[in-house]
Amino acid sequence: MPPSPQAPPLGNRALDPTAVRPAIDDALIERIEPSALRSRLQALRGDGFTVLLDIGGVDYLDRKPRFDVVYHLLKLPATVASVAAIGTPVRMRVLCGIDDGIALPTVSDIWPSANWAEREVYDLFGITFEGHPDLRRIQMPADWEGHPLRKDYPLRGPGLEKTPRPDFALKSNVLAGTPPSGKTAAALARQIAKIRGQSS
Amino acid sequence: MTTTHGPLGVMEGATSGNQMVLSMGPQHPSTHGVLQVLTEIEGEVITKADPEIGYLHTGIEKSAENLFWSQASTVIERMDYLSPLTNAMCYVLGVEKLLGITDRIPERAQQLRVLLCELSRIASHCVWLGTGGIDLGAISPFFYAFDMRENILDLFEASGGARMHPNYLRVGGLRDDIPHGFLDRLDDLIKKFPGRMRELRRLLQNNPIVQDRMIDVAVLEPEEALAWNVSGPVLRGSGIAYDVRKAFPYSGYEKYEFDVPTRTEGDAYARFLVRLDEMDEAMRIVAQVRKQLVQGPVMIDDTKVAPPPKEAIALSMEALIHHFKIVSEGFRVPPGDVYQAVEGPRGELGYYIVSNGENRPWRVRTRPPSMYNLQVLKKLAIGELIADMVVCIGSLDPVFGEVDR
Amino acid sequence: MEVNAGQQFLLAKLDDVARWAQASSVWPLTMGLACCAIEMMSVTAPEYDIARLGSEVFRASPRQADLMIVSGRVAQKMGPVIRRLYDQMADPKWVISMGACASSGGVFDNYAIVQGVDTIVPVDVYVPGCPPTPDGLLYAVNLIQQQIRQGGRGGVLARA
Repeated sequence: MPPSPQAPPLGNRALDPTAVRPAIDDALIERIEPSALRSRLQALRGDGFTVLLDIGGVDYLDRKPRFDVVYHLLKLPATVASVAAIGTPVRMRVLCGIDDGIALPTVSDIWPSANWAEREVYDLFGITFEGHPDLRRIQMPADWEGHPLRKDYPLRGPGLEKTPRPDFALKSNVLAGTPPSGKTAAALARQIAKIRGQSS
Repeated sequence: MTTTHGPLGVMEGATSGNQMVLSMGPQHPSTHGVLQVLTEIEGEVITKADPEIGYLHTGIEKSAENLFWSQASTVIERMDYLSPLTNAMCYVLGVEKLLGITDRIPERAQQLRVLLCELSRIASHCVWLGTGGIDLGAISPFFYAFDMRENILDLFEASGGARMHPNYLRVGGLRDDIPHGFLDRLDDLIKKFPGRMRELRRLLQNNPIVQDRMIDVAVLEPEEALAWNVSGPVLRGSGIAYDVRKAFPYSGYEKYEFDVPTRTEGDAYARFLVRLDEMDEAMRIVAQVRKQLVQGPVMIDDTKVAPPPKEAIALSMEALIHHFKIVSEGFRVPPGDVYQAVEGPRGELGYYIVSNGENRPWRVRTRPPSMYNLQVLKKLAIGELIADMVVCIGSLDPVFGEVDR
Repeated sequence: MEVNAGQQFLLAKLDDVARWAQASSVWPLTMGLACCAIEMMSVTAPEYDIARLGSEVFRASPRQADLMIVSGRVAQKMGPVIRRLYDQMADPKWVISMGACASSGGVFDNYAIVQGVDTIVPVDVYVPGCPPTPDGLLYAVNLIQQQIRQGGRGGVLARA
């Protein structure tokens, strides 16, 4: 039985795929408001979610709120533990919908690993994190304009459709290429002479 | 308070006359790629280390949003370029979860996927071992390790067509079955592997210089390891035996018997031993897969996802139409989001894939193990000697295609 | 070149001798960026062995290297670094653009990758492939050696 979409394609319009379909992986999922975010994450940290696996951003261009910042958490014991003691840890996903221009509180004091993850979300989406010790660009050069992973940022970047070739790229060495060696040189020369209409 | 302005960044520091700001720049023989570490050193002791990444930012995630689901795996494979099949594995598993076809993947395809991913792990650890040796000044193990890697790359080339980035793992199974002669070559490799590993271990493991340089260097406690979100051999070197293959088994890993090497010391030598043991365990899994390999198809029997076999296209109209649709528009994936994780050679590689029902991914967010493993350098390097910096970086084993994406 | 049989000397042009020496000992710079760098490492490994072509060592310092093999995708942040390294190399110097990403941007036609390293440094040989097999890189080094022997841009009378 071939799989069919459970709903017609949503297209590039306002959407929330997390609402369209129940969870298909084994993580607990929670959606939260930015105002309740920090206290909830702190509570989860106290509850044993020792690992902040990742902070990711998603841009749902036409949805209100526009962005989703997704916190992936994992419950692992904080001491030396064997495979049997770990078993199947609990995974969790906290999604926080946020609009353009609003800042989120940082969690880099709760989990130090959030430092770079938040810098990357800032760099690529433009979402700022209040209280972050060092919020600057991490992947793009420091003077880059724009936030590349936003859906309204063009794939090829700020308008340089074709990078211009500087003139040294056309110097004789590159144009002439490497002269062919061996028996083919004579044959090639004859062919070129024939095309040019010269007598060989 | 002096401020150092370089064209690549500003670093505040150097409060006293003994301190110096040193940039282990993006071009360096031992940084395992394009990494810049802005270090503040007092004499030979590092007082502050700030890794600067982004020198290989490729926009893979944005490229993936503009490609079909089956095309996106080509760019995604180029993230962790030392073990490309692991990236592809994680991605196709995630997409298969979204499609709902996870339990219809043929068994032979699952087994071959496990086989190739474990070979990929060994190949990646070979590079780590070789370059780790070179960082310490031991050049010979590099040649031995790369020779072993060549055998594995030959197998990738035979099955997928390319040594690196074969794009062999597809949504629904594999691109094609393994060729004749593959299993014989695999048997040869399985037979000569223990001898090769003995050689590699003899070269480095009990070497007093290696032990001197690695024991008690870059120590990471378990609580810190979790707070800094490290995974893989770095986490297991600190005593926490979290392995995604055991915790959240995928693709039939629960059927194979293998241990998860773990050490409790938490230093660079512990991670070194963990990785060496992992190579042995990976080959153990490969031998089991080889023994249990079943016959059968390697691609799901679903014409909406998998292109029909080429022979059918000349004979059947539907096959032709399905092929045309899949190649020209790709298949559609129902809307939803999923987080899929696999155990890569560097740790837990995860993809958070969001689909909005179209034939292209809406978002592929990577959980890059190397990036989080590298971030802990900020803490690990403090108090070490400047000569230990390469040991720290080598023991974390970062791959910058993944860190920067 | 004349060999005087019976006598113990031979005559040659200084240019030829210099070019022969340069071509037989092209030392690359360790400019490994991404996946192509791993294939470059495989080229130094025993199976493909670039040392038999004269590239015995890869120098980390640009002052001591002749050949810059740009192996891998060039990100926006890395572009100025490559230019600076190229400027720091002493004449005569050559550049191989290894792989599709260095030659033209490769699979990554987007904001983050410089679409061809020849927009930053002049390139002598382009190697196609993603990544090129080590054989391809060996052929490229062969072509560089031919260019040197034939006295192209990078000969004794080199101009940057």
